[in-house]
Amino acid sequence: MATPLLGQRVKRKEDPRLIQGRGHYVDDIQLPGMLHMAFTRSLHAHARIGSIRVAAAKAAPGVVAVYTGQDIQGQLGWVPCAAGIEGLKVPRHSCLAIDKVCYVGEPVAAVVAASGYAARDAADLIEVDYEPLPAVVNPEKALAKESPVIHEELGDNVAFVAKLAGGDCASLEADKTLKVIKARFINQRLAPVSMETRGVVANYSPGEDLLTVWSSTQVPHILKTQLAIMNSLDEARCRVIAPEVGGGFGSKLNVYGEEGMACLASRRLGRPVKWIEGRRENLQATIHGRDQINELEVYVRPDGKVVGLKCSIIADLGAYHQLLTPAIPTLTALMILGCYNIPNVFVQTTGVFTNKMATDAYRGAGRPEATYIIERVMDLVAHELNMDPVDVRMKNFPSPDDFPLALPTGVTYDTANYQRSLKKVLKAAGYSRLRKEQERLRKKGKYLGIGLSTYVEICAMGPSSRMPAGGWEFGEVRIDPTGKVTVLSGTSPHGQGEETSFAQIVADGLGIPYDDVTVYHGDTFQVPMGIGTFGSRTTAVGGTAIYQAMGRLKKKMARIAAHQLGVKPGELVFRDRRIETEDGQKSIGFAEVVAEAIFAKQLPPGIDPGLHEHSVFEPSNYTFPFGAHVAVVEVDGETGEIRLRNYYAVDDCGRVLNPMLVDGQIHGGVAQAVGQALWEELVYDENGQLITGSLMDYAVPKAHQFCWFETQNTETRTPVNPLGVKGVGEAGTIGATPAVVNAVVDALKPFGVRHIDMPLKPEKIWRILKQGVRN
Amino acid sequence: MQAFEYARPKTAQEAVALLASEWGKSELLAGGSDLLSRMKDDVSAPQRIVSLSGVHELRGIAASARGLRLGALVTLDELETHPAVREHYAGIAQAVEQVGGPQIRNVGTVGGNLCQRPRCWYYRNGFGLLATYKGRPLVPDGDNRYHAIFGNEGPAYFVSPSSLAPILIALGASLRLLGPDGPRDLPVEQFFVTPKSEAEREHAIKPNEVITEVLVPPANGTKSGFYEILQKESLDWPLAMAAVALQMEGRRVEKARVVLGQVAPVPWPSAEAEEALKGKMVSEEVAEEAGRAAASKATPLSKNKYKVQLARVAVKRAVLLAAGLVKKGEV
Ligand SMILES: Cc1cc2nc3c(=O)[nH]c(=O)nc-3n(C[C@H](O)[C@H](O)[C@H](O)COP(=O)(O)OP(=O)(O)OC[C@H]3O[C@@H](n4cnc5c(N)ncnc54)[C@H](O)[C@@H]3O)c2cc1C
Repeated sequence: MATPLLGQRVKRKEDPRLIQGRGHYVDDIQLPGMLHMAFTRSLHAHARIGSIRVAAAKAAPGVVAVYTGQDIQGQLGWVPCAAGIEGLKVPRHSCLAIDKVCYVGEPVAAVVAASGYAARDAADLIEVDYEPLPAVVNPEKALAKESPVIHEELGDNVAFVAKLAGGDCASLEADKTLKVIKARFINQRLAPVSMETRGVVANYSPGEDLLTVWSSTQVPHILKTQLAIMNSLDEARCRVIAPEVGGGFGSKLNVYGEEGMACLASRRLGRPVKWIEGRRENLQATIHGRDQINELEVYVRPDGKVVGLKCSIIADLGAYHQLLTPAIPTLTALMILGCYNIPNVFVQTTGVFTNKMATDAYRGAGRPEATYIIERVMDLVAHELNMDPVDVRMKNFPSPDDFPLALPTGVTYDTANYQRSLKKVLKAAGYSRLRKEQERLRKKGKYLGIGLSTYVEICAMGPSSRMPAGGWEFGEVRIDPTGKVTVLSGTSPHGQGEETSFAQIVADGLGIPYDDVTVYHGDTFQVPMGIGTFGSRTTAVGGTAIYQAMGRLKKKMARIAAHQLGVKPGELVFRDRRIETEDGQKSIGFAEVVAEAIFAKQLPPGIDPGLHEHSVFEPSNYTFPFGAHVAVVEVDGETGEIRLRNYYAVDDCGRVLNPMLVDGQIHGGVAQAVGQALWEELVYDENGQLITGSLMDYAVPKAHQFCWFETQNTETRTPVNPLGVKGVGEAGTIGATPAVVNAVVDALKPFGVRHIDMPLKPEKIWRILKQGVRN
Repeated sequence: MQAFEYARPKTAQEAVALLASEWGKSELLAGGSDLLSRMKDDVSAPQRIVSLSGVHELRGIAASARGLRLGALVTLDELETHPAVREHYAGIAQAVEQVGGPQIRNVGTVGGNLCQRPRCWYYRNGFGLLATYKGRPLVPDGDNRYHAIFGNEGPAYFVSPSSLAPILIALGASLRLLGPDGPRDLPVEQFFVTPKSEAEREHAIKPNEVITEVLVPPANGTKSGFYEILQKESLDWPLAMAAVALQMEGRRVEKARVVLGQVAPVPWPSAEAEEALKGKMVSEEVAEEAGRAAASKATPLSKNKYKVQLARVAVKRAVLLAAGLVKKGEV
């Protein structure tokens, strides 16, 4: 009997075409008569727009049209924001700035021309008169009364204030037996930097009254609805296709002004219009991530038990809301307690407008910030009480029997065993041996650091009650007359590998070869409904929809087979291309049943012809993957350079369908997390100029900077979906950052170091070492 | 980027003839890894580009008893992987293998590396080589964390960016230039000059000259080493680097050359460090002393004291590498 496909290291269906350069991305699309678009962008962080001179651009060779904000006003809807937060202020966000620019890189005019070069050159000929205004760059200063206000009509720079309280923090203040630990952390602004930048081709065909849009997006169905609204078209007149997408990391979980402009231009000109983002534009004008200031007060009993946590989050939202901008920091509040059942919590989140690009979902989206806060806090507790960080964590973990566990933050964790993953990672790392080595090296003036992170995250987004546009997912399975299977999903994977895992689910369930299954996604004409790929939801929610659709098909096939074999449907199993009784005595070929179902010669009464089922899966809760990581770093005492020497990760994402895919997600996620800890940072100067505006200045990590990551898993299945799958797309990025920072702080313990803000650049470290030596 | 004329000569002589006699009008194109980014940023806008890609006489590495001849079009990757270079000129291989990333080393050439323009962010943003705004120098009060810590009394504050130059100077290399009046040879050390005005260049080359080759004298047992320190290990340039060539009698240093990079408008030979090494048995302490001597006369600007420390460490570690007291990856 064939081994079950689920749980196997099956090779990715996606890879042969991608490795051979045969993937088809937006920029590979060539249509007859296609025009190209380029944008003139604001050079100022904050300025009023005077006159815009476009004559030279219009006269430039190859130019077909030039648009400014005035030209599109009332003709194209606002860039949408879907976040639902009480009292949220939503500034009007035009696809092209109308009378004011609010960040460097904001589109001011668009040029459409016969070639990309002609469009770019002409866009540079547009002259804009600006009346510069003082830039609001620092989110704390933005809150001051005397600060200039970015959106005058909204009164001040506060987009929202959200409070989350559980238990009773106020009562703790009187308790003198408790130790109070204060801290201030800065979670710096990052750029998602997907390998493929954004891109869109819009093709409006006047005869059919049909707008077809190819976009490098993670959410084709959401984009279709929004573009239809922005362009005042019925959704039936709008088709969105996500071709191969070269990474998104959340940055393509959005609806952008440039997409709206491509549609408008194509509608007006009746020709296809392409826009491909450059890397500088990508750093300036694709959403950013993180950017929070966290002020903390933590109440601890002398034995290390944390009983209360208060946090103020100041979230720098940038100038406008993109699709989910204000929602992201609220996820930080929701997950701030991490793996610890701290009974009293109070979090105040203040979303602030600044003259910068919007922040939004970047891999982890609010949860890396939460993990960073709570995991740094656990190390601070260890530091203050002179305890081992392992002991502090063990002391504060809930017992595995406590699940499902309702936390004072209002979320209910499904299943977990934090003790098990921590023990397992300590064993993998040789924790006590490492501590001894650290002692030995310290005596020689060498600084080894060991850092822990035990994380839990919230994913498989999510129950529709908690999601602005619904949290279900659509899946369809159909069997063609030849017995081969087509699977459709409303998700839109872009590198994660679900063509592979979805095929595994279906081939495993139907007892047919993996190669007989083809998975499609990302075309709104092909897949009737969908939400998309983000929030580590694709397998847990989208995979389940497919699993359920397949279940319905199996029921139908079993009835047909049972009719033929003269047994009860419940007695039949699907295996090795056959449908048969457990003992194999009564058996019929899979293909025979397919033929019977489709050619419909002897169907049992009450069965319709065809093998074609769909399902929409609505999860009852989120899932809560967790894990434990250990980072080992060496700090070069002479230069302050940090070398990541070892990395150990034990992750629990519920049931593992394909260990290779899980490893891939963990490796990539950890790499990005280490990038935040050590290197990456988007810096705006005091005038709101982005001074890390190219990959020369914005330090994306490269493979050679990493050691090998030792990854292992534990499997704690979730009851939230029948597959038992939790999700793993963001776990590495959520879990790993504090492990690295904790390791570096641990290395510098002899210097009395308690905290260092990221990124831990060598110069910062060297200054600390130098001071330490002096003291 | 401005429109330009493109020429692809077949010989170095033809290339010379195609070049203008004034700066700014024409530029040679080798790997393009520096020139194209300057053109895209509108820092350079030549009317004519003279590509060297068809000039085959500028290719090839020849190792013989007379030393090493490197054609100007030899790529950094070819240099790094050449067996004779790895065996006899360890310092060259160590210097080159850390330049940029593999893609840069596959296109970047020896000639282009020596002639690349400074990375000073004021220069790259249109404020000129001397980084001035309305006649006022921007660097002393500005963000000078990457600028010079030696030779920085002005008006030049940028740092010489080439990783190859310091080690070539330490090894006593020279280069050959071809101009309208024929070839001339110049020690690499003299190829780098500190400009006194915006009209001058940081290279002793004429607008219509081409570097045809670099000649490195025979190693004859000279031991060399190179060490650099980067800030982010991403696509950035080193903050400090040191190249060291030692003529040794056993473990005793007969003669030392120590040349720092990324610390001054020119590659910066350190007489102090050379003196500290001369006649000594190389040890951790002696290397440390050489580093200290090298850094002793530094004159850091407001924001770049860290570079002084890095220069000190780079010299120390390059000495240890050259002497073979440590291996790469151990320092
Ligand atoms: C991300 C990145 C990181 C880098 N890191 C480093 C580093 O760490 N260390 C380092 O040294 N460099 C570094 N570089 C620079 C790189 O090494 C140089 O760009 C490269 O060596 C230049 O060679 P090229 O052939 O591409 O030059 P080109 O761009 O073709 O030319 C550069 C200049 O030299 C002139 N030129 C070229 N050949 C000749 C010739 N034969 N005679 C006269 N003039 C000539 C050209 O006219 C032009 O002005 C880095 C570059 C990048 C993009």
